Amino acid sequence: MKPIGQMTCAELAAFIESCLREKGIDVVLTGGACVSIYSDGKYVSMDLDLVNTLFAKKREIREVMQAIGFWEEGRHFTHPDTDLFVEFLAGPLAVGEEPVREVHEISLETGILRIISPTDCVKDRLAAYYHWNDAQCLEQAALVAQTRVIDLEEVERWSKVEGKIDDFSRIKHRLAGRET
Amino acid sequence: MLEPLLGSRNGERVLIFLLARQEGYIREIARFFGSDPDSIQKQLVKFESGGVLVGRAVGRTRVYSFNPRYPFLKQLKGLLEKALTFYSDEERDRLLLNRRRPRRRGKPL
Repeated sequence: MKPIGQMTCAELAAFIESCLREKGIDVVLTGGACVSIYSDGKYVSMDLDLVNTLFAKKREIREVMQAIGFWEEGRHFTHPDTDLFVEFLAGPLAVGEEPVREVHEISLETGILRIISPTDCVKDRLAAYYHWNDAQCLEQAALVAQTRVIDLEEVERWSKVEGKIDDFSRIKHRLAGRET
Repeated sequence: MLEPLLGSRNGERVLIFLLARQEGYIREIARFFGSDPDSIQKQLVKFESGGVLVGRAVGRTRVYSFNPRYPFLKQLKGLLEKALTFYSDEERDRLLLNRRRPRRRGKPL
């Protein structure tokens, strides 16, 4: 097994997810790390946000993390051999007010990575842009849309549900890239 | 009103306050209800780590508001709005009628 200090963001997430899964704890990668993975590293995130989909107890998660050398510091877990840090977010797995129905699984040397789809990753970033006017998140959504195939019609439908169809119309051209 | 659901009187107070005022900080909420600030803080931290609320630093104060990305926000607010209708007129007025517009420095009253 590759040492933690040499793992990429995706490999580390897959490793942690696999260790947790062995104990019956299901987590899914979301947030900026997905942008990093789907943009092939054009955007760098040091933060692994793992959604605790089945509401496992924090104590159970802490035990697994400590067994693989991570220490809890406030809301994050850190490891002496990597600058990446890990945060567990409360479930359910959702983008805006809708549940995430489709989770992608990517098999890596360090384990199986469970990650939201590129389309949901774009929605996740747009949620931050729509609700907090975070321009960086719009850039991240655009980066994913230009690098991966996304379902732009689905993003439009979801934006409507979020009450943000006018905002979507304004930024739609930024997401035009490799959409289906 | 919602204590049986939320498991805590101060939990309800925090959410009702934020529903009425959109945002608030520990001492402000505790002072309003005459509650212990530590208990209010505990509830705010609990709701923040559960994704219901978000906090941001304003100077040295952490100001909390509802997380617009919380998937049950619409339904939760609906429940709180219903609960608010069961509050007395006096309590509701105290919560809702609050000066938020700026006041020029040095202005008498």
